[in-house]
Amino acid sequence: MKNINKKMKKDQNLAMVIVGDRCIGCDACYVACKTDWDVPALKEAFRTKVWEVEGKDQYGNPTIGFLPTLCNHCDNAPCVAVCPTGASFKRDEDGIVLVEPDMCIGCKACMVACPYDARYYNEHEQTVDKCTFCLPRISQGLDPACVTTCVGESRNFGDLNDPESNVSKLLKDATSVARLKEDEGTLPNVYYVTVNY
Amino acid sequence: MSRHNINRRGFLKLAGATGIAATAGVTGIPSPLSASAKKESAKGARFLKYDRGVHSPSFCEMCFWNCGVDVYTRDGIIHKLEGNKLNPNNRGHICAKGNAGIQSTYDPDRIQSPLIRTGKRGEGKFKKVSWDEAYQYVFDKLNPLVKKYGPETLATFMHGTGERYVHMFSVALGTPNITVPAYSQCMGSREMAWALTYGTGISGHETFDLANSKHMMIFGRNFAGAVQVREAEDFAEGLARGSKLTYIDPRQSESAVNATDWLQLNPGSDMALALGFIHVIIRDNLANMDFVRKYCYGYNELVEHIKQYTPEWASKKTGIDAKTIERIAWDFAKDAPNVVAVPPRRMTRYGNDTQTVRTIAILNALMGNWGVPGGIFIRTAVPLDLPKHEHPPATKARRADGVGEGEKYPFAPPSLGRTNGIYEATLKQKPYPIKAWLLYGTNPISHSSVGVNNLYDAMNNLDLIIAIDTQFSDTVMYADVVFPESTYLERDDAPYIQKDKVPFIALRRAAIKPIYDTKGCYDICKGIAEKFGLQKWFEHSPEHMIEQLLSSLSDEQKETLEKDGTLLFEDVDPYPGASGGPLKFATTTGKVQLYVKDLEEYYQKEGDNFAPMPTYIEAPQPKKDEFRMLFGRTPHHSHARTQNNWILLELQDDTPVWMSPKDAKYLGFKDGDMVRLINTKTGFKSHPEPIKVTERIKDGSVFIHHGFGHQTKAWTRGYNKGTSENNFISDGVDPVSGAAAFHNGFVKVVRA
Repeated sequence: MKNINKKMKKDQNLAMVIVGDRCIGCDACYVACKTDWDVPALKEAFRTKVWEVEGKDQYGNPTIGFLPTLCNHCDNAPCVAVCPTGASFKRDEDGIVLVEPDMCIGCKACMVACPYDARYYNEHEQTVDKCTFCLPRISQGLDPACVTTCVGESRNFGDLNDPESNVSKLLKDATSVARLKEDEGTLPNVYYVTVNY
Repeated sequence: MSRHNINRRGFLKLAGATGIAATAGVTGIPSPLSASAKKESAKGARFLKYDRGVHSPSFCEMCFWNCGVDVYTRDGIIHKLEGNKLNPNNRGHICAKGNAGIQSTYDPDRIQSPLIRTGKRGEGKFKKVSWDEAYQYVFDKLNPLVKKYGPETLATFMHGTGERYVHMFSVALGTPNITVPAYSQCMGSREMAWALTYGTGISGHETFDLANSKHMMIFGRNFAGAVQVREAEDFAEGLARGSKLTYIDPRQSESAVNATDWLQLNPGSDMALALGFIHVIIRDNLANMDFVRKYCYGYNELVEHIKQYTPEWASKKTGIDAKTIERIAWDFAKDAPNVVAVPPRRMTRYGNDTQTVRTIAILNALMGNWGVPGGIFIRTAVPLDLPKHEHPPATKARRADGVGEGEKYPFAPPSLGRTNGIYEATLKQKPYPIKAWLLYGTNPISHSSVGVNNLYDAMNNLDLIIAIDTQFSDTVMYADVVFPESTYLERDDAPYIQKDKVPFIALRRAAIKPIYDTKGCYDICKGIAEKFGLQKWFEHSPEHMIEQLLSSLSDEQKETLEKDGTLLFEDVDPYPGASGGPLKFATTTGKVQLYVKDLEEYYQKEGDNFAPMPTYIEAPQPKKDEFRMLFGRTPHHSHARTQNNWILLELQDDTPVWMSPKDAKYLGFKDGDMVRLINTKTGFKSHPEPIKVTERIKDGSVFIHHGFGHQTKAWTRGYNKGTSENNFISDGVDPVSGAAAFHNGFVKVVRA
């Protein structure tokens, strides 16, 4: 893995590494996440989602693929930059981007600013809501809900500062690494890799 | 794109939106910093707490696969379900449906008490009654029918963990007409073919060693889209480790994502393709002759028989290039024996299903992959001597569905029966009157095989319909008396004992008390049985069976099972073929039967359907301007059971009609146009559905996902969402297995 632009100094550099071709599009992550965090019963309300992408190969044959998405916990997070109250903030110690509900005024500027469509407005809680990398769970030593349930073991979570972590090893062994919309300068912490086992 | 037709902006399309967004954020919004400053100190503190709650072990009942589940409750409310890490069915993961088990349990649309019908059948008018009134009602209605017609007038249908109690009641009452739809509506033809060849079935937890395979050749089995968790895991794992994947299906399903080759063959021609592969393998001396000589019966006959099925011939039938057939046959054989050819699971397709799977079984045999890593593993039973419970003697009365020695379907197992045959017997009241149905967790209206109109007519012939279920399915709405079952999260159940690659036991303990006035299937069947004086067969409650099991274990085993919910028995060899151990086959010849002698007699009488070696049988073809109706699973729903589950409905609540660009152009349809399907046989019209124009479906066919179109108004969310394929599929029968054949239904597609 080359050219990881580390601008922030963090005790932990938490990241999600998604082995792209292990995602089978089952959406277990979607349901596990909504259930654990009481995300409202609306199609528009979610913290993570798998997109089915139909395309064509070089010969014009139809192809399908799956793209799991979530908050990228960007090191240069546009949502944090635009938040007028400081409700959207990035934790220094591990880089997790959060929204503090008590401070959110519901202006939704962050929802517009986010290039990844990672946020939604929770009418019931009167706050913008998003993926927390399951901070409540990981603070108790558990994996994030989506990682725990992932049927294809596509999703992996850990600390990139620890060379022995699962995610560090995956990035080291990866035959290709991509992040979404890198050209926007967001420095995302969700990686999409292919691996030869 | 049906599965993600949401309003939230699709960020994939909006790469350029960030600039606009940033401007709006910075300039447009006042900044009440003073108000927020005092909250700064507690910022984020709420995210450092997580109460996992109280753990109880269970296994999932959202589908038949029964993954191990850890249930977590907070203050008596189920908060979260997670996969049990030890359970070999799922190794710590659960799918979308499994995760959504909570929503099904806390669904206010559930059946909340015993009910007796007051309105017309299907009208949905019931009165709440006591349990005893409901049991008495069954006795008062059923007993006169039993007196008049004999106990065989009751037909029973069952699907779910409580099956054993419905079975027990049925046998004790004395009816032979016990049916498990998993046979005739699903796996029957596949299991029949495997048994004729190998002397054993593939079983509900299939014996394909996908994770270790070097080449998976998959005939229309959607491992990724049907999501039985272990198999989906193994499928992904095998591919990640570099297995080749030849995916054979007229539709590009989720499983085709990483296919080395996707062969979009003509529907119904799978058998021709497999025959073509076998031809090449034998012609080019690619068979594993060590295995063939040692274990196979009828190789020489096969060599002669297969000569007619050249790749060129197979190409004409399948539409797949002959060179491709040769190349893939070579590739497949090159990696033998660590390869596997996988038949479909729901093998109710073209009426040539048993013989199609026979062909695929032979293809495997020629690779010598029996008991070999990456091929077919061998299951071992749980090595425990549990107390044997006494069973009532089975009746010798003739079955109504043509199953049994000397009957039309002599090969079909009487223990499972032909559900489709019972529908027909009820419709025609032949060979004798069927006047009562007992349905447990089954829903014929959404899983019909005789046409839905015929099914209503059949039910009109019944004097009594008894339903045991957790929810008001379309069929439960037609019941005369309804017994509400507790969900799997609300009840103890008999221990789950699985013969498998690594055999294991799983426990299910009630995580919460029943929310409504419901009971487990054991209590319900016992309550009915008591009215008939048959309670002696119901001495062993689920709790008692758990106690009996625990007392037969060592202290250490007992502790593991109670604490972890799963107990493994790992001292087994799933690969005796690789370790050179002798292999045994429980067939008539004691060998793998490339040639099946048992079929000879029927072959003389009935012709090619019963050929001892697979002989190509052409599926019926659509006429001009007609389309073959295909259907299959979505990863987001289990059969027709979960379409009222709010969270799963978010993932999918519709059934767009898939059509190829060529066909759409011919009919003048564009993607998203609204169309209706018309059954060419009955004239039945669907309500409008959007069309999905895609090369992922073969010309001449249309496809919709299974499980939708519910007409039960008790489902406040799932009512009338999408279309049910049941109104458009065929009512065919595979002549060997007697199981249903659904894929020969033809439709016209018209603008709505």
